Amino acid sequence: MVAEERRAEILKNLSDGVVEYQEDQVKEYATAAVEEGLDAYDAIMNGLAAGMEIVGDLYDRQEYFVPEILMCADALYAGLDILKPHLKKDTSAAVRGQVVIGTVQGDVHDIGKNLIKMMFDVGGFTVHDLGRDVPLEKFAEEQLRTDSEIVALSAMMTTTMMGMKKVIAMIKEKNPNVAIMLGGAPVTKDVANLFGADGYAESAGNAVQEAIKMIGQLRKLKEEGLPSDR
Amino acid sequence: MATMSPKERVQKFFKREPVDTMPVFSGMGMVTVQAINKMGIRFAEVHGSADYLAGSATASSDIFGFDAVIVPYDMCTIPEAMGRGCSTYADAEGILYPTVPTKWDKLDSTDINPDWVSKARMPVVEEALKKLIAEGKYAVGGWVLGPFTLGGQVIELDLLLKGIKKEADKVQAFMEKMTRVVIDVAKRYQALGVDYMTIREMGSGTDLLSPRMWKQLIQPYLKEIFAALESPKILHICGGTDLIVEMMNDCGADALSFDQKNTLAETRKKIGNDVILLGNFDPYGTLCQKEASEVPEVIKACIDAGVDAVWPGCDIWPDVKAENVQAWVRTMRELGKQPSPAVGRV
Repeated sequence: MVAEERRAEILKNLSDGVVEYQEDQVKEYATAAVEEGLDAYDAIMNGLAAGMEIVGDLYDRQEYFVPEILMCADALYAGLDILKPHLKKDTSAAVRGQVVIGTVQGDVHDIGKNLIKMMFDVGGFTVHDLGRDVPLEKFAEEQLRTDSEIVALSAMMTTTMMGMKKVIAMIKEKNPNVAIMLGGAPVTKDVANLFGADGYAESAGNAVQEAIKMIGQLRKLKEEGLPSDR
Repeated sequence: MATMSPKERVQKFFKREPVDTMPVFSGMGMVTVQAINKMGIRFAEVHGSADYLAGSATASSDIFGFDAVIVPYDMCTIPEAMGRGCSTYADAEGILYPTVPTKWDKLDSTDINPDWVSKARMPVVEEALKKLIAEGKYAVGGWVLGPFTLGGQVIELDLLLKGIKKEADKVQAFMEKMTRVVIDVAKRYQALGVDYMTIREMGSGTDLLSPRMWKQLIQPYLKEIFAALESPKILHICGGTDLIVEMMNDCGADALSFDQKNTLAETRKKIGNDVILLGNFDPYGTLCQKEASEVPEVIKACIDAGVDAVWPGCDIWPDVKAENVQAWVRTMRELGKQPSPAVGRV
């Protein structure tokens, strides 16, 4: 059992390390967390993810832009790689779920997709990353194969956005309960609505904001207990 | 009132000489499915043939009454010639633009083909431009991606973005290399006789980069490019641009073009009335989604905000509603008879 004071110190250093994109600092304190018996989920959610929430605020205030977010993401992954193998397998704390994610065919830009993927990783989801330039039918096939609850599609260019509409139709036809998230510069609320999506983010930074909100919800669930736990 | 030919109208427009009416044109792709269908070809076929490129550009302008033609339509011609290949999606349904399938994985591993300017589809594009110029029916536009956006086509973009902080020297060397490529291609197109040249640094808006980083990473190279090119030369940037308008205006372009995220009226105040301002309707929303009856108000809003010509904010999505494009052209012909801030009327 880690003393509360030490726990706070580790969490703060994990958070600060993410915010200041100090990979070595994050590795050091993630290792300390493991060696000293701090719960890995606690370290991920209240250290790494808490830091990413601050990054989101800095992006909101236009102090950070995408280059900074990418470096923060590297720092976060440096910690996640160390902590994730130590997550308790039966933890009811982690909200389990599966997501299929990828960039649609015709689009080879994947920064936004990778940032969203990171937040799903942090949230404890099993992520099925199809990569970029993914043939449209592959999304529907992978969703069916994995029975994932979420499909997240990204397109950076107007010229590839239209592919999203087809994917959504394919998936919703087979499984109307799947939640579809769209992301990318050309995606607006109107487009998301028109295509029948359940959520959207219009830029890589905005994607992080949306994902951070989601992680915030997950942390809240952890604090309040899952509905099934109550 | 004297009626000008499309070519004359665009040429005079960029010289800021009085024109009869606002020209209807763009610095980005304007090909339409109506033209592709008329030619009896598939969209995937158009990019590899000078005849198809020139023919579809001309057909689009013939059908809708545009004042200019512009080729190529995809962003892979230069990366492909540089040795990065090209996915054409020949078997895909519908419209998919070619992409670059593989990228260099290190900032200092960009080993460009020595005679890249004559490789892959570079001669096809030049041949298409020659045909269009020789035809003389419409003004002919050329375009090249800006060095940062071109860089993002040939190298993993996150390497470039993170490199700004971690490997500044390598990023600088890479950007210089891309800048040289942009200048080489743009000068070749200008030597052929294009009527205007757009540099599309589309990926550099403040959705991605801070204004401070834009000044450090983007502006010096754009200044170098515009100093090397003949007029008329236009700088186009997509996405968030309100915070970098003044810096864009310092790059040496004759005209600035923005997409729908720009607050045009404020931009006009910032740059004054001596710079040609172009923009900024949402091409997909306006020409593919809206009803034709809603298009005039979109065009009018751009004119009221102070543009000298109403440009789409990006490539036209080829699968346009014909009646929407007709409404765009008709509204500009009607409202465009009045002088704009930087260009008078005969």
